[in-house]
Amino acid sequence: KITEAELEEPLEQLEFALLEGDVEMSVARDIVEQLREELVGTARAQVKTGEIVVEEAIGNALLDVIDVGGMDFDEEIAAREKPVTIIFTGVNGVGKTTTIAKLGKYLDDRGYDVVLANGDTYRAGANEQLQEHADNLGLKLISHEQGGDPAAVIYDAVEYAEANEVDVVLGDTAGRLHTADDLMAQLEKIDRVVGPDMTIFADEAVAGQDATHRAKQFNDAAEIDGVVLTKADADSQGGAAISIAEVTGKPILFLGTGQGYDDLEKFDPEVIVERLTE
Amino acid sequence: MVLDDLGSSLRGSLDQLRGKSRLDEEDVEDIVKEIQRSLLQADVSVDLVMDLSEDIRQRALDEEPPGGTSARDHVLRIVYEELVDLVGESTDLPLEDQTIMLAGLQGSGKTTTAAKMAWWFSKKGLRPGVIQTDTFRPGAYDQAKQMAERAEVDFYGEPDNDNPVEIAEHGMEELSDVDVLIVDTAGRHALEETLIDELEQIESVVEPDRNLLVLDAAIGQGAKEQADRFDGAVGIDGVAITKLDGTAKGGGALAAVDRTDSSIAFLGTGEEVQDIERFEPDGFISRLLGM
Ligand SMILES: Nc1nc2c(ncn2[C@@H]2O[C@H](COP(=O)(O)OP(=O)(O)OP(=O)(O)O)[C@@H](O)[C@H]2O)c(=O)[nH]1
Ligand SMILES: Nc1nc2c(ncn2[C@@H]2O[C@H](COP(=O)(O)OP(=O)(O)OP(=O)(O)O)[C@@H](O)[C@H]2O)c(=O)[nH]1
Ligand SMILES: [K+]
Ligand SMILES: [Mg+2]
Ligand SMILES: [Mg+2]
Repeated sequence: KITEAELEEPLEQLEFALLEGDVEMSVARDIVEQLREELVGTARAQVKTGEIVVEEAIGNALLDVIDVGGMDFDEEIAAREKPVTIIFTGVNGVGKTTTIAKLGKYLDDRGYDVVLANGDTYRAGANEQLQEHADNLGLKLISHEQGGDPAAVIYDAVEYAEANEVDVVLGDTAGRLHTADDLMAQLEKIDRVVGPDMTIFADEAVAGQDATHRAKQFNDAAEIDGVVLTKADADSQGGAAISIAEVTGKPILFLGTGQGYDDLEKFDPEVIVERLTE
Repeated sequence: MVLDDLGSSLRGSLDQLRGKSRLDEEDVEDIVKEIQRSLLQADVSVDLVMDLSEDIRQRALDEEPPGGTSARDHVLRIVYEELVDLVGESTDLPLEDQTIMLAGLQGSGKTTTAAKMAWWFSKKGLRPGVIQTDTFRPGAYDQAKQMAERAEVDFYGEPDNDNPVEIAEHGMEELSDVDVLIVDTAGRHALEETLIDELEQIESVVEPDRNLLVLDAAIGQGAKEQADRFDGAVGIDGVAITKLDGTAKGGGALAAVDRTDSSIAFLGTGEEVQDIERFEPDGFISRLLGM
């Protein structure tokens, strides 16, 4: 049988490996604890060598956290009554607007009519940025002047979609930190007024320990249905995916893998687990 | 003192030392564990945390607390000294004519920081100008121009030119009478060879006096590799940490200054041009340790 003492060192090493992969500390500890419970007293004969057991158990524990099941994005879009309204949330600069452009193309490629709505009425150059994406992709954009009410823009886009038989509305929001109470309240308002079919939270694969905080705060303000993890090409291990899945219990739908419109991949939980355990 | 605002668990283990004048190995071990915890939760790179905690452990055991100093204050002093040793003082920025180039990962806050720094120099009585060389990101020209307007500083960019090196060249000529030139660049990461090459080309035209790496306070363990790559390409002389108005502690900057043998220049604390501070080690170290 495997003893507690035998596990001490490999489990400590595992905890540091998870931290080095940017898994948040309390999440890493939960995973290590779960493994300890699972492995202590396990009969050795059943489970080949100790090393292999631990390796497999790590992979399984990570998959357990990250593979929350839940919706399949394509099926969800196909099944929903049209128009389907999707709102994107997240902290500053993670890649919300770029992800909207990529998803706009993704849906357009699959035969859906898409309209973009710029709910970022705050940041300098936000309208010009999304307009250029819309022009590049041949998509319609609804926007208001800088300083306008973000909920009103998205509301207008939904009305436009209803009047013109558009299938999907992709609504952008301004980046905001989860500590900005007034801006988080504004996000709640957008959620209330627009009543989106889906809220997608974007965060970046290079994010560290803060990922759990913000995922939780955004989920509290406007409940998340799914997550997009951007900048997965920047060669961090992407442990943030584990942290976000653990605190929200929501599926990661896509990975952003570059700045091009086609740099969007369906998320495969095994890929992140491999990156973390290799 | 500077470390008063400590995380509760760290404070707890330090409080156990109250009244003690000598530390035993167990005391030191507890404290070192708590410090490791705080630093790791602040995104300080794992190997740096290990090096730091080894130094702290050794010194706490070897060094005799100076007369009249409690064991607690002695440990605090050691922790503080080790961290100051690592982060150092704020990057030296003489108030004179100079060119500063900003580089960093996509979305880290370069364009915003360029305008903020320009605003900061203008408050110091110098005349700054911003050159936007990002020809890739949609809306980059408009964003930088609007931010420069908000900062009330000179601006140069070319919305219809897709050659950043040319724009840099023209910008240097057009803004030749400003005192402080701040050159914004497109976002890029360590693995994007052609974009790193492009940065080197811009640098060779601009010949900056300083290159600053702009780092998001929330960046995780990847900070080290990004800093290595940018330093290898153009040489990093200072770091600007952005988005410190959130809950992220900015510990990634420790790896960055360690790897590039540089220091921290500015802190960003909001989206407006005034939301910039010069780096100051005490507050930053307290933030790292105190959650
Ligand atoms: N390498 C890489 N860069 C990305 C990816 N997704 C977005 N970016 C880049 O990240 C930067 C920020 O992207 P945006 O889409 O403007 O981010 P945002 O969340 O809308 O930002 P704010 O609206 O300012 O909060 C841009 O330079 C994008 O090109 C990705 O998957 N990989
Ligand atoms: N809250 C907060 N937001 C910031 C800060 N600095 C920048 N931002 C925001 O972060 C986002 C990205 O900033 P940019 O200046 O566009 O970043 P960038 O590095 O130029 O991005 P790319 O050019 O796409 O690589 C924007 O929403 C900014 O408003 C800061 O200190 N605090
Ligand atoms: K250097
Ligand atoms: Mg945006
Ligand atoms: Mg920029």
